[in-house]
Amino acid sequence: MRATRLFSNKFLLLFSILSIAASSITAQTLTKKQLDSAYLLNPGQERLRKIKKSLAKKFVNFVGNDVSLFGALALSKQNINDNGVTAPINYLYNTVNSNTFNSGYSGGFRIDGIYKEKHRYALSFAVNRIAAGNNYKNKYSLSPFIDDFTHFKADNNFTTLSIAAHYKKLLPVNAMNKYKFYAVFGPSFDYKISRISNEQLINGAGNRAIINGDLGAEFDNKGYYVLYAHYKLGVNMTSSSVPVQLNRFEIGMSIKAKDLF
Amino acid sequence: MKKLYILILAATTLTMVACNKETPTTQTNVMNSMLTNKNWYLDYSITGTSTKSYVGQSTYFVTYLKDGTTKDSDGLTGTYSVEVLGNQSQIHVQLKTSNGNPLEVIYNIISVGDTKLVLSKVVTTGTPTQLYFTNK
Repeated sequence: MRATRLFSNKFLLLFSILSIAASSITAQTLTKKQLDSAYLLNPGQERLRKIKKSLAKKFVNFVGNDVSLFGALALSKQNINDNGVTAPINYLYNTVNSNTFNSGYSGGFRIDGIYKEKHRYALSFAVNRIAAGNNYKNKYSLSPFIDDFTHFKADNNFTTLSIAAHYKKLLPVNAMNKYKFYAVFGPSFDYKISRISNEQLINGAGNRAIINGDLGAEFDNKGYYVLYAHYKLGVNMTSSSVPVQLNRFEIGMSIKAKDLF
Repeated sequence: MKKLYILILAATTLTMVACNKETPTTQTNVMNSMLTNKNWYLDYSITGTSTKSYVGQSTYFVTYLKDGTTKDSDGLTGTYSVEVLGNQSQIHVQLKTSNGNPLEVIYNIISVGDTKLVLSKVVTTGTPTQLYFTNK
């Protein structure tokens, strides 16, 4: 429990740093209020300004960055291979195996921009509440007593923090000056921040890190909002006695932060 | 600026490397949670090729309580502990017979679940008996 809280704190720290870095990329011009406050000495702001300036110099090729907030519905299913479990535990197959996509949700922010005026990208940071259906690949039996059972019970409700880096390819569809369609692909990384149950930890099966390959399509309606559908295929980042393959479909919408606030 | 990079690198490395791990008691905790505070009714006993069925009969049952004590339908009481020795999970039962003599019985856990329990009695000579219990 304490360890979970510790890692949550670490992630909050990491997110805060990344948020500062992200906001610095977008800040190009100063508002009147910012100009006025520039005359006042504030060590914190001064430090932040220096960081922003430094990052802007560093990421000079990353232009047109827009910060958007997004929310999505996520449908998830995990395929579980419990061949490596040696603990003599049984879970009745029909009670743990649903083999369906269950719904969860996610929310966060993303930065859309262009690299070297040519390559469109999106960096996103999200909190995901995942409710996954379970598909256990192996069935065992102890005849004549237990018909079908598994040795392992995977957690199917958990929360992750995720980072994604997507390449966006503009598709030559429709009137491109109004509506834009993109094909999107790239990697993403999830880290479980919710408590892992003892059942999930047995025989070294517990694994917090998930690495995903993402593929999807996005529709940009004149810059007002973006509708998107992404498919994510994830696997355990480190070796585990129970390899889990997490399949997710995300259907969501993002709106530019400056239009909201 | 260098400090910021070091901080980002340190935070990223820590979050990547650090994972919560299974402890030596994880497996016994899970097995205990499945085993305790239930009446386990004997359905079958199998010794070698001889199978006896007690399904549907008023039969022997045993209870393992959370406080580490056990009692069965024959009136035997005592204490128990779940242990994992190497890859073998066992229940060690310390009983007192009706005339007050201590008796130790060890069962290998073949499989334990919320509703099904399979044990094999450890014997020094002869064929071990497998006991199939259901939590009705």
